Amino acid sequence: MPYNIAMISDFFYPQPGGVESHIYQLGTKLIDRGHRVIVITHAYTLSDGHPPRSGIRYLANRGFKVYHLPHWVVFRSTTFPTVFSSFPLLRYIFIRERIQIVHAHGSLSNLGHEGLLHGATMGLRSVFTDHSLFGFSDAGSILTNKLLKFSLSDVGHVICVSHTCKENTTLRASLNPLSVSVIPNAVVASNFRPLQPGEASEITTIKNDTLPPPPDPSRPLNPGDPITIVVISRLFYNKGTDLLISALPLLLNRHENLRFIIAGSGPKAIDLEQMLDSLPQNLVLTPTGQSRVRLMGSIRHEEVRRVMIRGHLLLSTSLTEAFGTVLVEAASCGLMVVATRVGGVPEVLPSNMTVLVLPEVEDVVRGVTEAVGMLTGSSDPTSANAGRMRKVRRDRFHEQVKIMYSWADIARRTERVYDLVTNNPSAPDNTVDDEEWDGYGVEAAAQVQSFALIDRLKRYFGCGIWAGKLFVIVVVVDYLIYCWLELWYPRDKIDICKEWPRVMNVEEDVWGINAKLDEHESGNQHAVNDHLEREVTVTQRRWDRKGSLAPADAAG
Amino acid sequence: MLSINRPTPTTVLYTVSTRSPTDTWPSRFSSYLLIFVRILAGLFAISLAWSEYVLQLGIRAIGRSLATTEPGRFIPTPILLHFQAQHALLRLAIIVAIFYFSTQKFYQEESLLVLRGLGVQTTTQSSNYLSRGSSAMRFIPTSSIQDIFIHEAFKGFEVRFYLAIVVEGEAELRVVFPNILPRREMLETVWRGTRACLYEPTKSPQG
Repeated sequence: MPYNIAMISDFFYPQPGGVESHIYQLGTKLIDRGHRVIVITHAYTLSDGHPPRSGIRYLANRGFKVYHLPHWVVFRSTTFPTVFSSFPLLRYIFIRERIQIVHAHGSLSNLGHEGLLHGATMGLRSVFTDHSLFGFSDAGSILTNKLLKFSLSDVGHVICVSHTCKENTTLRASLNPLSVSVIPNAVVASNFRPLQPGEASEITTIKNDTLPPPPDPSRPLNPGDPITIVVISRLFYNKGTDLLISALPLLLNRHENLRFIIAGSGPKAIDLEQMLDSLPQNLVLTPTGQSRVRLMGSIRHEEVRRVMIRGHLLLSTSLTEAFGTVLVEAASCGLMVVATRVGGVPEVLPSNMTVLVLPEVEDVVRGVTEAVGMLTGSSDPTSANAGRMRKVRRDRFHEQVKIMYSWADIARRTERVYDLVTNNPSAPDNTVDDEEWDGYGVEAAAQVQSFALIDRLKRYFGCGIWAGKLFVIVVVVDYLIYCWLELWYPRDKIDICKEWPRVMNVEEDVWGINAKLDEHESGNQHAVNDHLEREVTVTQRRWDRKGSLAPADAAG
Repeated sequence: MLSINRPTPTTVLYTVSTRSPTDTWPSRFSSYLLIFVRILAGLFAISLAWSEYVLQLGIRAIGRSLATTEPGRFIPTPILLHFQAQHALLRLAIIVAIFYFSTQKFYQEESLLVLRGLGVQTTTQSSNYLSRGSSAMRFIPTSSIQDIFIHEAFKGFEVRFYLAIVVEGEAELRVVFPNILPRREMLETVWRGTRACLYEPTKSPQG
């Protein structure tokens, strides 16, 4: 059945990032499947460096509604960690949107945790998606893990982006592993196509920088041909910039045909530049006097593809990575991937696209050498994989990635999680035939399906000796606030929002919704214009479902 | 409560009021009773003020006569006078309050007048019977109305629907019924009617 879903996170557009685009893509695909999705985030002011956003907005034109909650205490772009402050507004929104499922994203999002707590107090089903890995030892992690344990005590189901992330989250929050599912991220494959025939001539240079011309992915490389390695990473310690800095001179020295494009900025950018300055001229310059290593600075997400298609190889030296979207994006652009074997990286791509290395300088050099060998077909006799040379077909990567990763698939799998937490049967096109998965997670979900206050308190009490008692107090206070809110802002005084007119193809009409619409409404289908933020007034004109303006109607 | 007044086919007056409807006998009786009580309270306040005035005159006269005749014997007199005056202020405040509340409406009334070919006029009526002049009124000619729509906004701990008019050349929207912010069904009725009345009724708004 179609659900009303509230995605809650501190991280949403206009701020760019992985969680942000995950929520957006998942939301739009769920809307395509007939659900209603709203996003609740905080307001952005101009000082955050983004266009300001406040109030209630619509994204695209299919009723993807975003509530930018006004926040009272601000530090940078995260809300101050209060526990109860947004309860009145969240409750109001949950009621007026008839929300059934609260879906929070990101373990550092305070708003998400608040949403889970208040949602549980209101008796709503909850799902949480974790996007990141955390340690266990430092003070910050311990605190975050305790908080996570608290807010996940009551959550119906947890989604992690990779199996490593699942392991991490299960341990951190002491969860039942059966109530944790793995649903990866995806990429919009059409945004990351490899170089198209005839496109090479019209590619303009980025930032007036003369980058090497994009190579043709279908043309095999000969030994000695210039090979461009792309590095797209924020230059932070945890992204392995130090490893890159150490490995770069060795690689430049060992292979004369290597060129590097490094995109991204961060505190380690200075170290990188210093290292390049300290190298002898014959290493950093080609015989014709061009620089072999180009630093692009930070680039926008839209520009990533235009940088990627100029390379043959993507190098990722990250020290921690929950999923590694950039690897999938690179493979979709037809790049060979050399990546450190950390976090969820080994799960992301099949072995014919990747060379995995240990996060050590020598191994990075070995991995790049091996990948270069695979690309050029010159087999390195020392390599263990000498047998599988000449098998890399970069031009086929895109099609393979397109099959592996699609947001529509992610939305279907997320919908199954929703079915699980709400105890509903799956949609006819969304069932798994495999017997092995029959009843997956049902038992674990059943444990948290009682919303009686005493059962909730029992779950929270088990969180720890002192923390358990503290959490119980918090939950009781939350419940009292809820009772007060029910008296002060009674439910029947809250206006229910109208549903956005459903627009979908007949084939996609899983729930038979179109059949219920009368002819007038099905005639109301307007062009589905994706990825466009429409003016409020424009959407508002279409807002009314009936739109009949007969004077008789007005008089009634 | 929404009342629609349509004197001619091209004119509509929408009035939204928080007053409880007086269509049943008990409610009508109670509203008359309330008016009666108010008149009584108003008269009471006026008569109190009058008596206070007379009293003050009397005290002044006594004090003056005492002070002029025998200055040495009535030392506490100034203190007494002061005391009297203080209490007089308090009493005066109470009288003013009674009078104010007896003329207070205890409900809000806001209206939207739509005239085809001319424009719309929004009115927020004053909350007091006596201060007619302070009611906010604004006329917007049709030529400067860019759009009229319903949207939602945060207001305090609530999310409310509002009907707004986009006026050409103004940075801010003009919210219709800004204080009452009626419920969605009511706003939709007004929105449909206003659009039908402002624009040609044959034209459908769906582009």
